[in-house]
Amino acid sequence: MTITTTPPSSPARRGRVPGRLRIRTMPGRIRALAALAAVAVLVVLLVTTLTVRDARDGLRVIGHDAGPQVVATGDLYFALSDMDAQLADALLIGGDAGLASRRAAALRLYEQRRSEANGALLQGSRLAGSDPTGQRTAQAMLDALGRYERLAGQALLTDQQSNHAAGPPPAAVTALYRQATDLMKLDVLPKAYNLTLDNGTKVRRTYEAKRSAVLQGRVWVILTGLLLLVVLVGVQFYLARRFRRLVNPFLALATAGTLVLVVVSVALLSSEAGRLRTAKEDGFDSVLALSRARAISNSAHADESRYLLDPGRADTYEQVYLDKSQTIMYVPAGNLDAYYTQVDQKIGGTDFLGFYGTEAHHITLPGQQEALHKVLTGYQKVQANDRTIRRLATAGGGRAAISAKLGAGTDDFGDYDKALVSLTDLHGGAFDKAISAGDHGLRGWNLILPGAAVVLIILILAGVRPRLSEYR
Amino acid sequence: MRLRRIGIAVTLLLASAGCGVAGGETPSVSGKDRLVIGVSKDQPGLGFRDGYGTYKGFDIDVARDIARRLGAKHLTFKPLASAEREGALRDGDVDMVVASYSITPQRKTQVVFGGPYYVAHQDILVRGTDTTVRNVRDLRGKRLCQVTGSVSWRRVTEERKIDARLLPASTYGECLDDLTSGTVDAISTDDLILAGFAAQRGNQVRFVNAPFSDEKYGVGLRSGDIGGCEDVNKAITEMYQDGTAATLLKRWFGSTGLNVTTTVPQFEGCG
Repeated sequence: MTITTTPPSSPARRGRVPGRLRIRTMPGRIRALAALAAVAVLVVLLVTTLTVRDARDGLRVIGHDAGPQVVATGDLYFALSDMDAQLADALLIGGDAGLASRRAAALRLYEQRRSEANGALLQGSRLAGSDPTGQRTAQAMLDALGRYERLAGQALLTDQQSNHAAGPPPAAVTALYRQATDLMKLDVLPKAYNLTLDNGTKVRRTYEAKRSAVLQGRVWVILTGLLLLVVLVGVQFYLARRFRRLVNPFLALATAGTLVLVVVSVALLSSEAGRLRTAKEDGFDSVLALSRARAISNSAHADESRYLLDPGRADTYEQVYLDKSQTIMYVPAGNLDAYYTQVDQKIGGTDFLGFYGTEAHHITLPGQQEALHKVLTGYQKVQANDRTIRRLATAGGGRAAISAKLGAGTDDFGDYDKALVSLTDLHGGAFDKAISAGDHGLRGWNLILPGAAVVLIILILAGVRPRLSEYR
Repeated sequence: MRLRRIGIAVTLLLASAGCGVAGGETPSVSGKDRLVIGVSKDQPGLGFRDGYGTYKGFDIDVARDIARRLGAKHLTFKPLASAEREGALRDGDVDMVVASYSITPQRKTQVVFGGPYYVAHQDILVRGTDTTVRNVRDLRGKRLCQVTGSVSWRRVTEERKIDARLLPASTYGECLDDLTSGTVDAISTDDLILAGFAAQRGNQVRFVNAPFSDEKYGVGLRSGDIGGCEDVNKAITEMYQDGTAATLLKRWFGSTGLNVTTTVPQFEGCG
């Protein structure tokens, strides 16, 4: 396997470009050709391995790292936001005897969400591992949550002592609740939401980089594979002419093997790129958008409670409610009344933007249309209830508004949230399926590729060995 | 007429050639050496141009900080009126807008917003002698300054459906002059802007302190610049984490008595 350079004694050296390779002997030429073929095999191996690794990295980040983190941080946001929503409901009911069981239910749910949020945060800080920014964020959130719980406890206690009828509590309670809800809204929730967005960014960037790397790598696999085929066929011809033999069976086998390897590799890379695409576009993008829609829906629902709870800030709570509603489903409307009307008119079609607009314009999965329909009708009901609640509240029927809020308002919101979760799960299923198909497709390629390279090199050596032995 | 048509054709041709150079993708603010930033020039404390032509204010400092973190070395500030912001981004006159630019669902259909880098609240400014206005509802029947391209007046007359009389002006600086001269009765816009005015005019004007909205100040970017938007969000996160945001808020609003928030706001999301 050595390349013989021109012997220094050779007279032919004079007048030639210095350093130019010149192989004089026949065995030397055969060895050189075999070496060239072996190097070509190694190049194909290297290019294919690197491209397979890109596909594997893409699947790891999207499927096993940032992708699932989006779901986890989305759940964290939901638990935190719902804590504050349940607290608002409990304070709104106060000492009202007729609604005492609803208050107890709200407090139970508050406890449940609190433990879910704490669990998720503890897990989050463990998951952050040695990443200092992630750890700092998780730590800051735990601290702020501790302060929140203290304020919430004080608010509940003061509220209990005041024993007020259903409706806005005394000023002392409102002041404590404002501190608590501000802490949640300004400090804790943004961090959770931004974590979800960060993971979304990570997935998007990984997807774009890795998918284009796989597609480019595929071209290189084809090119280097063709090069190897040309070399193998060339060696075959050279030997056939020089030694007057028909076909060298080992080299023919190596050629066929190369062809199979390249075709199978290219097919694999194409399907891996396709699976990354399916996982991202039919699964992940929707899971991210719908997780955000769920987070914002829940906080808008809580703004409805706060609107009834704190008349001093009712205007702001109404404005952010409209703003959040338009983020979820955008129809052009300058105020809430116009918004309700537009929602009623447009909910049957697809003439709207926002998270649900994106979802409605990208129907790719079986059952998605039906699941989305349930979400949209649920959303319409939630908005209809909101209209009733605000109408009752502004007409002076505070008690009636609270009953509507805690009755149909809460039940219908629960149904809407369930429909939203099952639509998200539908996309989550498509995501998991694409990722596990991708993982499955790559299984064993760490062994297959070097194994194939060894076999090809052995075949090449076996092919040239009998010819070399003729010179011994 | 014919000349104008030829002009349009040439413009289109140049525009399409420009697209060809950029590979058909939206040019991003990320990794650009030079950035042109659209700002306001007449909002004390936020964005204003002093007598020497230097831009100063919270928005200006935030813009500088974000641009630095994005890696830009040369910044040019370009004054924009409220109504010009979407067009300036769309036409490529500016790369980014940092000008107390509220993120609204309607605007999101035209531009991409990084941030918000701060959440302000709409409030009311009246003459110092006026004691009749205690909250937004008291603006019924009053003469309210309406700045073209701003969403603030809409929040009063459209969103809250309060029957105030709108009197147009092109900038909030103009509104302030109208208020002190008695042409209008009230200015309603973000507390950060009003706080700056109140500090400037002393007891000629009164800050009502009855906030009635959340105004998310976003970094306006060309529609489609998702990568740039993600980088802007990262820059804002760092700006809050390393304490720069708190320092800037203190520098510009520390003396106004406004209760400022020094934790990172909830981002709008880029996609």
